[in-house]
Amino acid sequence: MLTAVAIAVDGLGFAAWLFLSSVGLTLIYGVMRILNIAHGGFYALGAYASAWAIGLYVQTGNPVALSYLIIPVMAVIAGTVAGLLIERGVLRFMYGRDEVLMVLVTYALFLILEDVTKLIWGTDSYVAWQPAYALGTVDIMGIPYTVYKLAIIGVAVICGGSLWWGLTHTRVGKLLLVVIEDREVAGALGINVTKFFTVTFLIGATLGALGGALTAPEISVVPGIGAEVIVMAFAVIVIGGMGSIPGAVIGALIVGFARATSVHLYPPAELFSIYLVMAAVLAVKPYGLFALSEGRKI
Amino acid sequence: MRALLILLLMACPALAQSAPVKVGCLFPLSGSGGLYGRDSTVAIDMAVDWLATQEGYPELQVDVQDSRSKTLRSLQIARRFVEEDSVDFLCGVVSSSVALTVSEYARKSQTFFIGTDHASPTLVGAARHPWYFRVNNDARQSMRAGAKYIAEHYKRGAPLRVAFIGPDYDYGYQSWDDIRRFLDEEGVAYTPVSAYWPKLFDTDYSLYINALMQDAPDILVNAHWGLDLVAFVRQADQLGLFQNMQFMNFDAGGNYEILADLGEDMPEGLILSARHHVNWPDTRHNAQFVKEFYARTGRYPSYAAAGAWSGMIAIATAVRQAGGTRDTAALRLALKHLQLKLPEDPEGFSSRMDPTSHQMLQVQAIGRTLPNPDFAPATMMLGDISVYPPPDIWPAD
Repeated sequence: MLTAVAIAVDGLGFAAWLFLSSVGLTLIYGVMRILNIAHGGFYALGAYASAWAIGLYVQTGNPVALSYLIIPVMAVIAGTVAGLLIERGVLRFMYGRDEVLMVLVTYALFLILEDVTKLIWGTDSYVAWQPAYALGTVDIMGIPYTVYKLAIIGVAVICGGSLWWGLTHTRVGKLLLVVIEDREVAGALGINVTKFFTVTFLIGATLGALGGALTAPEISVVPGIGAEVIVMAFAVIVIGGMGSIPGAVIGALIVGFARATSVHLYPPAELFSIYLVMAAVLAVKPYGLFALSEGRKI
Repeated sequence: MRALLILLLMACPALAQSAPVKVGCLFPLSGSGGLYGRDSTVAIDMAVDWLATQEGYPELQVDVQDSRSKTLRSLQIARRFVEEDSVDFLCGVVSSSVALTVSEYARKSQTFFIGTDHASPTLVGAARHPWYFRVNNDARQSMRAGAKYIAEHYKRGAPLRVAFIGPDYDYGYQSWDDIRRFLDEEGVAYTPVSAYWPKLFDTDYSLYINALMQDAPDILVNAHWGLDLVAFVRQADQLGLFQNMQFMNFDAGGNYEILADLGEDMPEGLILSARHHVNWPDTRHNAQFVKEFYARTGRYPSYAAAGAWSGMIAIATAVRQAGGTRDTAALRLALKHLQLKLPEDPEGFSSRMDPTSHQMLQVQAIGRTLPNPDFAPATMMLGDISVYPPPDIWPAD
């Protein structure tokens, strides 16, 4: 029983982190058809910016309670600045190009972002444990769990819910769904597709940065964290169906619970279990569980 | 016979070589292991400066390159060192998996590779070859000392419940195999309850910590190092793991950089060891080494600094004893029978090379974290030290 509770709690916590780390990636792919490898760079930028700012804030004797505000603020700054520079400075000149070429372009951008983080913050680790420590732990049916992790689950639910509501209940969201469905038809209907691309990329970049910023208080922020997250994020969106937000939710839950189950029941198969599940899903649904329908071009 | 060989080598033939000895070192200077590389570079400078003041040692010309702990990059650097720079020695390398690749290249290119940092027993076991020598204690010796510590301090009737967590690569697997092997040899009654393998440089260990808490072992043997260990200790402390089991890390847990990184967050009562301690042994040599490093950097050295120092002294001593670098057979013989007085050696003991495995044999000191304000920013240092001399020969598989 205790093991089942532990799997549920740990699986949900990991799934929340996975969702936050991958939802921006799937959003950008859904709208722009760009498999954005630079997403890992946004995650790293958010983590560094948040850890650096929290460290600076707490070291100067300020109360920890207000440090939680730093996390979203730094995520928005990092995501907006980097996203705007990349979308306006590079990607807009390449819209409509082959998807494989865009993968190479965003991979190059990812490498540049990796070096940018090193240039700004150096190669030493950054730790900003105070916000996570201050919240303490809670006992969930005999399993100690950090309140901060529960808060991340809450943020993931809010992010997912807001995206769903925004897409289905607002005019802008509905127009975005049209762009996702068919950008040519959307353009013919008078929708400014380029503007939607810019806004979507900024939202996706900010979500990536938010994933990193929220994780920063739990980890040592070091060079290379962006590369690790992008691999897991790809596994999530491939399982869920690239471009699908409900798919990202389901993909994150599947990967999260697969890993938690493996660690608790058979630890050596931890990484194997993730890719086994991915292979099993793709064997049945080659484009993922919630893949967007592709119109047949004549 | 061995004593005779040592005596012959100690005769120190006049150095027939006037050209500097070229050494190519590979260390991560950035990323997760960057501190180790930077500390090693400082220690190399210290060693080169010290050797320059000593009579009869060759001049060392050392080039340090940033390996970033990447295997392919390290291989390219090693190739450049050998094929373009014509180095006499390769040295360094923090990660055992990278070291295995560099060591294989050293074998093929017939270049001496002096390991100063990595600790997987595989390098001096299954992957051993005539061109590889390691001057720091390996994880097997740490685990052997750890098993002795457990045997001495945990005598009781019921079998001990022992769990393990370590990184998902050769070093981690070897550590788990070795601790069980030596517990068996010491006759400790124990039950292995679980083993966990987070990937190297993982950042979130909460899942494993929860699983370990459920397993409820008496002892948790941990084989993490560097920032992985720092992250693990912080997260485990927050979730209350240390109140439920005795945490032990016999190889890298007591490294100064871990104690410094954790600062006030380092819990009291963890059983740890390291390949070099800044506060043990209390000898003039160690104090001088630590003081000199502090004077140059304004901080205390990580274990990697002592390894790099040892590497330079080993190379210079071997070249001196062999009369130069041209006669590789003489050089190998000198390396096989090296005996050095190093900062980590207590009074009355000198580190010595095991001629069969090419593994340096050193004393291992295991202690408990206790409050100690003398080495800030660390607030806990190892105290209540138990000392374990090395075996006569390195314990092969």
